[in-house]
Amino acid sequence: MSAMLLNKEKWPEFVGKLAGKKIVAPQADGDAMHFAPVAEGEAPALDYNNTRVPPKGALFPQTETMLKFQAGGEQVEEPVLDQETVVLGLRPCDARAMAIVEKLFKWDIDDPYYVRRRELTTLVGLACTEPGMNCFCPSVGGGPASTEGLDLLMVDLGENYLLEAVTEKGETLLTEIKELLEEADDDAGKEKDKLVAEAEQKIKRKVDTEGVPEGLPGLWEDPLWQKVSASCLGCGTCTYLCPTCHCFDIQDETEGFAARRCRMWDSCMFEEYTLHTSGHNPRPTRKERTRNRINHKYSYYVDKFDVIACVGCGRCTNLCPVNIDIIETLRQVNEAL
Amino acid sequence: MDLEQLRKTAAEVASREDVKYLVGWKPGTYGYRVAPAFIENADGAAELIFSPLCTANLATYLTLVEELPVPRGQEPDDRKIALMVKGCDSRAVTQLLVEKGIERDEVVIIGCPCPGMIDDCLLAEKYPETEEPAEVKWDGEDFLLIRGGEETKVARDEVLAEKCRLCRYPNPVVSDITLGEEVETWELGEDQGVKEIEGKGVDERAEYWAEQFDKCVRCYSCRNVCPLCYCQDCILDRLNPTWVNRSVNFSENTAFNIARAFHLAGRCIECGECERVCPANIPLGKLNRKLAREVRDKYGFEPGVDPDAEPFQASFKPDDPEDFIL
Amino acid sequence: MKTNTNPYIPYPATVEEAWYETGGERCIKTFKVVFDDEEVREEWTHLPGQCAMIGVLGVGESMISISCSPTEGKFLRFSIMLMGKVTRALHQLEPGDKMMVRGPYGNNFPVDEWQGKKILTIGGGIGQAPLRPIVEYVRAKQDKYDGLTMIYGARTSNDLCFKSEFEEMSKCDDLACHLTIDVEEEDWSHNVGFVPQMLLDLGPSPENTIAITCGPPIMIRFVLENLKKLGFEDDQIYTTLENRMKCGIGKCGRCNAGGMYVCKDGPVFNYAVLKEIPEAFA
Repeated sequence: MSAMLLNKEKWPEFVGKLAGKKIVAPQADGDAMHFAPVAEGEAPALDYNNTRVPPKGALFPQTETMLKFQAGGEQVEEPVLDQETVVLGLRPCDARAMAIVEKLFKWDIDDPYYVRRRELTTLVGLACTEPGMNCFCPSVGGGPASTEGLDLLMVDLGENYLLEAVTEKGETLLTEIKELLEEADDDAGKEKDKLVAEAEQKIKRKVDTEGVPEGLPGLWEDPLWQKVSASCLGCGTCTYLCPTCHCFDIQDETEGFAARRCRMWDSCMFEEYTLHTSGHNPRPTRKERTRNRINHKYSYYVDKFDVIACVGCGRCTNLCPVNIDIIETLRQVNEAL
Repeated sequence: MDLEQLRKTAAEVASREDVKYLVGWKPGTYGYRVAPAFIENADGAAELIFSPLCTANLATYLTLVEELPVPRGQEPDDRKIALMVKGCDSRAVTQLLVEKGIERDEVVIIGCPCPGMIDDCLLAEKYPETEEPAEVKWDGEDFLLIRGGEETKVARDEVLAEKCRLCRYPNPVVSDITLGEEVETWELGEDQGVKEIEGKGVDERAEYWAEQFDKCVRCYSCRNVCPLCYCQDCILDRLNPTWVNRSVNFSENTAFNIARAFHLAGRCIECGECERVCPANIPLGKLNRKLAREVRDKYGFEPGVDPDAEPFQASFKPDDPEDFIL
Repeated sequence: MKTNTNPYIPYPATVEEAWYETGGERCIKTFKVVFDDEEVREEWTHLPGQCAMIGVLGVGESMISISCSPTEGKFLRFSIMLMGKVTRALHQLEPGDKMMVRGPYGNNFPVDEWQGKKILTIGGGIGQAPLRPIVEYVRAKQDKYDGLTMIYGARTSNDLCFKSEFEEMSKCDDLACHLTIDVEEEDWSHNVGFVPQMLLDLGPSPENTIAITCGPPIMIRFVLENLKKLGFEDDQIYTTLENRMKCGIGKCGRCNAGGMYVCKDGPVFNYAVLKEIPEAFA
């Protein structure tokens, strides 16, 4: 199906058509936004600046039950994952992050939970027309209307949304709602291009990634790591709010005899992350941990999967309690190269 | 405050032989951010500032240091750490002294009398942040926002940080060097946050906190930024035995947040850092101030004021009230 | 039951035999386990150097190297030092008890590439656990190799693993077995001294030889130094890394050393590769 238009008045009907599926969309929480399930019969508003916590939890929940069993037993039961889900209004950067992370979760051995959730989920993105102050997606291969990772892209044209299917799943969704849609004309396409170009213009901050993946390991002993990490508190804000951070811990948790094995987001910025039971820690201070975080995103991941594991969403910079700014860090990296 | 004087003093302190480094504030990389600065020599002092955006309590850096084992044959570096403090920050230092978390001769305290700090979120709501780092000054009772060569007067009441509305100690309670003149204390506003909670019924209160704790992502920024959360071995990190599961759900999040609040009762000096850094917007200040107020009202104890005080949680008096024991 | 598509599902295995190798606070206990399910038992293949995630449901899992060679039979052996929560639960298992096992994980020592060469293993303490499968493998196929030399040491004779086996081996002709302990003891008929020094004293020729070392980091450091002194090239030397691991299949991100995931790209590394990894010896 070619590009289609959805009149905004029909937005509630569009959402209504998704009945039976779990709908996840941005919701207001005081003055911040976060992704949460939408109550039946409600149509979420999509005009928002990006959420603080990324929607990565739709595919990679902060806590996920992997297996259920009796403590000390030998029979395990897998949770049934069959809830079809639609994520509405995620930003292209966050969708791109999902595509990047999927490379790891499908590397060599499939991660069954991530892969299954992705199969069950349709990602409906909304092109970004009001980038945030610390956004730098074009510097790392993205853009305000990037479709990578999405099934369907929507662009807010004022009265209408322009809908473009990216995958078969997106096509199917468009077919399901086709009576709500009109065919988009050339003007709509031009309007989109104009909005995207304007959005790109609004992105002020930039990083230079040229030569960074190859050069970073050579800066292993550079004083910049001490400088960058001096004020680091060692909290998990930058990693938990990062749409591409995907590391996890696995823990067995028991309640009486009922027990489960679950995984939860973990952070390489925590001291315990690499701490051996013997007490030895290969990354003993925040300097080594910061160095690893930047190297992982900008070098190791590129080596393995040929893409930088940063989508330029700016969250780590927006919310770092002590103003550790990834754009500034990369500037220092470039300076040292 | 006179920045020249600040930088001159800081340069002198940073170049002292018995000082390892000085922790102060420097302009951030964009908007209304201010970043902690670690100054090792006189030259570094030139970037220091003290402005209404210097909300961060740097006292946490006294206990956050990760020390590697000293290599054989080398002497440990036990030079002092110099620290710039506002009134509230100095209370954290005092409380650390009370608890023997630090020794008095390990620190050089540079006191900065504080006319009140800005809540950068309130400021950004009125005057959206831009990529350029902005300058903000005190201007009589009010503030002056300077950016792009343009000066804007900002009314104190509109942007004053909540902790400052409730502040009774704008002048450092302990310091080795004091910069500038003492400021006069101001009329205190009512603690609206705590009042709002107290106004709720038990069920309503439980529901309120359930909703708040449900948002917690367990990044532990509240714990790590807190100058008084400095246990080497925190129960939250302990997995053998597991006190608080790592699962992020209402029950475990509540256990974490309540445990932290209780560990801080009679120790929290109300610097508001936990609430400022929380990426999930949990109003932790309300929780900690409520407990601080209980301790003050019931036991007449206020932490971080007297370096010779006995730690509240470690002291018992026969006439302590016990009406809260069921 | 048949083989699962979910790689995180462990298989029950029964402890057939269990015995203590060493005593003390960090004692080492060896388990011989057999998968309960016949199909799993038949399908399981591993090579020297590989590991498995083993654990107890409700407590957790740990990555442990498989300390037997596939040539020994359709069972697995694990030698586990008592360290933390999971190893404590494992140590409580006795014959007849169940252990949950998934794997095998990681790469292996390229034992088949090494055919025609002399094999030299240099181990210390619990570090002999991943080396034992090489010794057994090479002995089982000794006509394919040009000899086997084993150097193994520990702090005291009570800290030596697989002692009775080695006592036997030292009497055999098919390999040269050299045992050493750090300090003099009564009734000790073997060498006294540190492992790296013993290596120098024996002075094996690097010619057509592969050296594999495993043990405490400090021992490895000096062994590497001494191997270089003896003229070994980097690519003639192998060792293993260990890091904290959770998933075992390259997802959880815990075990990376530089750009390498120890659970997938390792644990076995050729020294020529390893010395380029910045965090390898952290």
